[in-house]
Amino acid sequence: MRLLASLALQNLGRRKARSLLLIMAVAVASGVVFTGATLMRSIDSSMAVGFTRLGADMMAVPEGALTNITAALLTVEPTDLVLDQDLFARAGIASVSRAAPQKIARVEHSGIGSHHDSVDLIGFDPAIDFTVRPWLVEKLNRDMRAGDVILGAARDTVLGSELLIFGKPHTVYGRLGKTGVGTHERGVFMTFDTLEALAGSVHGPSGPPAVLQKGKVSGFLVELAPGATPLQARFAILSTLKGVKVVTGDSTMSGIRQGLAALLNGILALMVLMFASTALMVSVLFSAIVTERRGELGLLKAIGARRGQIVGMMVTEAVIATGAGGLLGVALGVLVMRLYERSLVYYLENIGVPFVWLDGPRIVVVAAAAVVMASIIGALGSLYPAWRASRRDPYDLVRGEG
Amino acid sequence: MLSCRGLRKDYVTERGAVAAVAGIDLEIAAGRYAAIIGRSGSGKSSLMAMIGGLSRPSQGQVTVDGTDIWSLSENALAAFRNKRIGYVFQFASLLPTLRLVDNVALPAMLGGGGRSSATYARATALLGQMGLGEHLDAYPSEVSAGEQRRAVIARALINEPALILADEPTSDLDEQTEIEIMDELLAVNRERGTTLVLVTHNLALAEQAEQIVHIAHGMIVP
Ligand SMILES: Nc1ncnc2c1ncn2[C@@H]1O[C@H](COP(=O)(O)OP(=O)(O)O)[C@@H](O)[C@H]1O
Ligand SMILES: [Mg+2]
Repeated sequence: MRLLASLALQNLGRRKARSLLLIMAVAVASGVVFTGATLMRSIDSSMAVGFTRLGADMMAVPEGALTNITAALLTVEPTDLVLDQDLFARAGIASVSRAAPQKIARVEHSGIGSHHDSVDLIGFDPAIDFTVRPWLVEKLNRDMRAGDVILGAARDTVLGSELLIFGKPHTVYGRLGKTGVGTHERGVFMTFDTLEALAGSVHGPSGPPAVLQKGKVSGFLVELAPGATPLQARFAILSTLKGVKVVTGDSTMSGIRQGLAALLNGILALMVLMFASTALMVSVLFSAIVTERRGELGLLKAIGARRGQIVGMMVTEAVIATGAGGLLGVALGVLVMRLYERSLVYYLENIGVPFVWLDGPRIVVVAAAAVVMASIIGALGSLYPAWRASRRDPYDLVRGEG
Repeated sequence: MLSCRGLRKDYVTERGAVAAVAGIDLEIAAGRYAAIIGRSGSGKSSLMAMIGGLSRPSQGQVTVDGTDIWSLSENALAAFRNKRIGYVFQFASLLPTLRLVDNVALPAMLGGGGRSSATYARATALLGQMGLGEHLDAYPSEVSAGEQRRAVIARALINEPALILADEPTSDLDEQTEIEIMDELLAVNRERGTTLVLVTHNLALAEQAEQIVHIAHGMIVP
């Protein structure tokens, strides 16, 4: 076996330019497949997250609120439509175990970040919250109180330091871990009281936003009661509460999902096409290589190489080349994804998909699959020509007939 | 040692069937030196290929050392070629990517020996006997045609075959080299007792043979 492998390697070395071209062609194909698959899986799992990743099953928001383009998936796009803070508490819906109210106000010139950055100020109720505090990675060693703020992972400020919001001093109480949900990571969180105290400083087109009034909220993050289905809960909420719209993971994403699905199907089709045409190319190439080496194969047979050894040698040669192509392709794919990471993430977040990469081990699995697939292409492409040549009498091969 | 019964080879071509070998019966005793002569196209190479297990006969039987070789399975025939028959071809038949010593060791390695030091010791010794001790590590393209042919003889001997088949092994060499190569082959036949079947155009060479087989139109003529 080692003998065949070394013969195969030497054969690859004979036509270096041709071998390199083969490796490059396979690298391009497997690079596309690897990159496509990684992006697909990443986007897929990114879509599965959003507010559901934060721990909520659905959101309840004012009926007219825009939710289709919300990048947050945490709350709604900031809007003047509001709900009563005690809406759920009053109704007591059996299929809902928790409904955490949130206020969200997108403000400018707040003094946070650079001058023109808009910042989401998010009010929550620490008593019934289940989407903010579980993400705390560090906090001061005391309870949260008025004037405290919690910063998303993307904001980097020392704990306990002072943060001025519209000139008013606040204390950085805690910092959240990376959630992959854009607004969550850039948000500034505080209790309702703290947020309402800022009402005087925030100027909308017609005074301070309605959501900053006491008792009004932007929406609720809803957690289902054990055993309740989203359908039951949605029905219960809609039939009990007026002026409310229920957003589940699916409906928020459906528009984006369809767009992306088309894109991903395109990538998938491209991948299949790449796979098939590369296999075809390898097959054509190896038919030519087998023809070119007919005499040598005949000689090998004459001096005692078995058919299996002949086929093994040619297939090994192909698998080494395409396997190397696969590895190179994965390397290229990683490079390309690194180079374009920023613009890709930016683009996806813009269309509302909070992008998170597939985790390391799963990328390794995809990479391994791409390399294995490239090797299979080599094996499949070379198997038939090699098998056909191996069937012939050695004398026919060395004579170079047909 | 070697016997052919009713051996035929028909090639199917666009212009109909060609009977390259048209019914040959032949006996060659063990240890003999037999020469096959005949005009170009008379069917000598086709006969040799069938004797050597390289080309399946259209009809008839070939028995080498008591084995009906064409009744063997593919793999058994490959093993038989490997162990019992050595070939010296008409054309350059060394693998260009291997050094001479690797080429010579190759049949032993293919036969299941693997890359053993004993194999390489034997290959080295054989190349030494052929006067190629200096060129063990040379690639075929780096030595002369005559030296290549000697390496092929060394390769043919590595598994100590019972039969050596040489189809015009010297036709492309100059006269002096031809004599040297033939001396090597005849020495193998004499000293090792290996049966030698040689196809040649050179009547002087044929006349030294213990048995002369004259072929015309695919048949033996007296
Ligand atoms: N593979 C083949 N296909 C068709 N015809 C062949 C083939 N091999 C040999 N022949 C024909 O068979 C005849 C005998 O050829 P060959 O055995 O090579 O003769 P020799 O070795 O005596 O010159 C020739 O007419 C040759 O053209
Ligand atoms: Mg001939």
